[in-house]
Amino acid sequence: MKKTKEFNNILDECLELLLVKGEALEQCLRSYPEQAAELEPLLQTALATKQALAIQPRPEFIARARYQFRSALQEVKPKRKLFFLGWQPRWATAMAIALVLLLAGGGTVAAAGNSMPDNPLYPVKLATEKVRLTLTRSNMGKAELYAKLADKRVAEIIYMANKGEPEQVERAAQRLNTYLTRVASLALAEREGERALLAPPPAQVPPPEEIPAPLPPAKGRDKGVYAQANARARLRMTLGRYAINHPAALRAALEKAPESAKPALLKAIGISKAGYEKALEALD
Amino acid sequence: MQDEESLVRRAQQRDEEAFTRLYEAYFDKIYRYVALKIGNKTEAEDMTQQVFLNALQSISSFRWKGIPFSAWLFRIAHNQVVDYFRKQTKQATAPLDESLVSSDSNPQLIAEHKLDIEQLVSATKRLTEAQREVIGLRFAGELSVARVAKVMGKSQGAVKALQHSAIVALRKALLMAKDNEKD
Repeated sequence: MKKTKEFNNILDECLELLLVKGEALEQCLRSYPEQAAELEPLLQTALATKQALAIQPRPEFIARARYQFRSALQEVKPKRKLFFLGWQPRWATAMAIALVLLLAGGGTVAAAGNSMPDNPLYPVKLATEKVRLTLTRSNMGKAELYAKLADKRVAEIIYMANKGEPEQVERAAQRLNTYLTRVASLALAEREGERALLAPPPAQVPPPEEIPAPLPPAKGRDKGVYAQANARARLRMTLGRYAINHPAALRAALEKAPESAKPALLKAIGISKAGYEKALEALD
Repeated sequence: MQDEESLVRRAQQRDEEAFTRLYEAYFDKIYRYVALKIGNKTEAEDMTQQVFLNALQSISSFRWKGIPFSAWLFRIAHNQVVDYFRKQTKQATAPLDESLVSSDSNPQLIAEHKLDIEQLVSATKRLTEAQREVIGLRFAGELSVARVAKVMGKSQGAVKALQHSAIVALRKALLMAKDNEKD
């Protein structure tokens, strides 16, 4: 009995090392030479089981599920309404938003963060996004933020298409188009900047009359270049994922959308496909 | 996930980002668990989604009383599987869907994996319900023994013993299937 219990513990320990920490089977066996003969076939079966289970749902399902889930998340959110936003003229609404952002603070802004275009808090969401964009200074940071916002717009397109609101779908698609164009132009601007940073000094420079100011230390310069390269790689990964998921999710939405929303949704699919291609091209 | 507790608390406040992170962290694991148990890809996809929609609806009732979030989520998945089989009792088990796709992009490996998962699903049918559950939670759900124990309401010692007997039984079933193929 005691021996069995001990073996169960050893087996479990080896499974942890093998499956979680990725250690080699031989290493486990070497650690427990007395039990090695009994352990080996079991560990081989465990490895084969793990390998066989390396399955994934289809990418188009993942995309569809993600957006369905996000829509469900919107529906369960507690709805707060700003009673005064319904009838005020535009300038008053803008003032109210500014006041809300300044005075009401975190709660409203947080609630607005998940609102959809048919929600009274949606203008607060857009205003907050603008503030975030203004506060983000680097090109890559801005591009990443635009990519994240593009993701939100796609969720909104699907949500509004499901509700049969073609005008809202078109508006969100236009915003998506603007964001993806900006991602591309920011990526291009960044690439030019990087080239300038990496460019060797001109071959023949006239001798300076004065002692020039020292160049920034190579280490610091390299660090900046690496940081930019990392940011670009991160952005490329995000865009690569979105380039597959967004059109797939929009196509999946097309199947279920009411007829009235389908033309606007088709346009949105075209925008997302072309937009991501252009943005990814700019990054390469 | 180190800050899982804070993520769950935020998700309970309907924080979209927190819930999305939990969703991303567990989606594949729940899918594999369900796919292994029911052996049908399309159903497994839809059921996985349903698990998260159910979790979304009831997360406010989740309490940290010694039960980790993963254990709670897998219990939802388990109940979903039980419901599925209850509805299917009079039907024969559907063969494993062709499109159970391996994450590997090499076609030869896909074929091998597909064969493996088919064998695996059919071999697990020879296991007891408890053994099957341990294999599902431990290998597909990637839960630790401690968490499997929480899901199944058993001691860790009992789970380790079950794990041992499950792997032995699985090996026997796989070898038997291989022998039958040769005949």
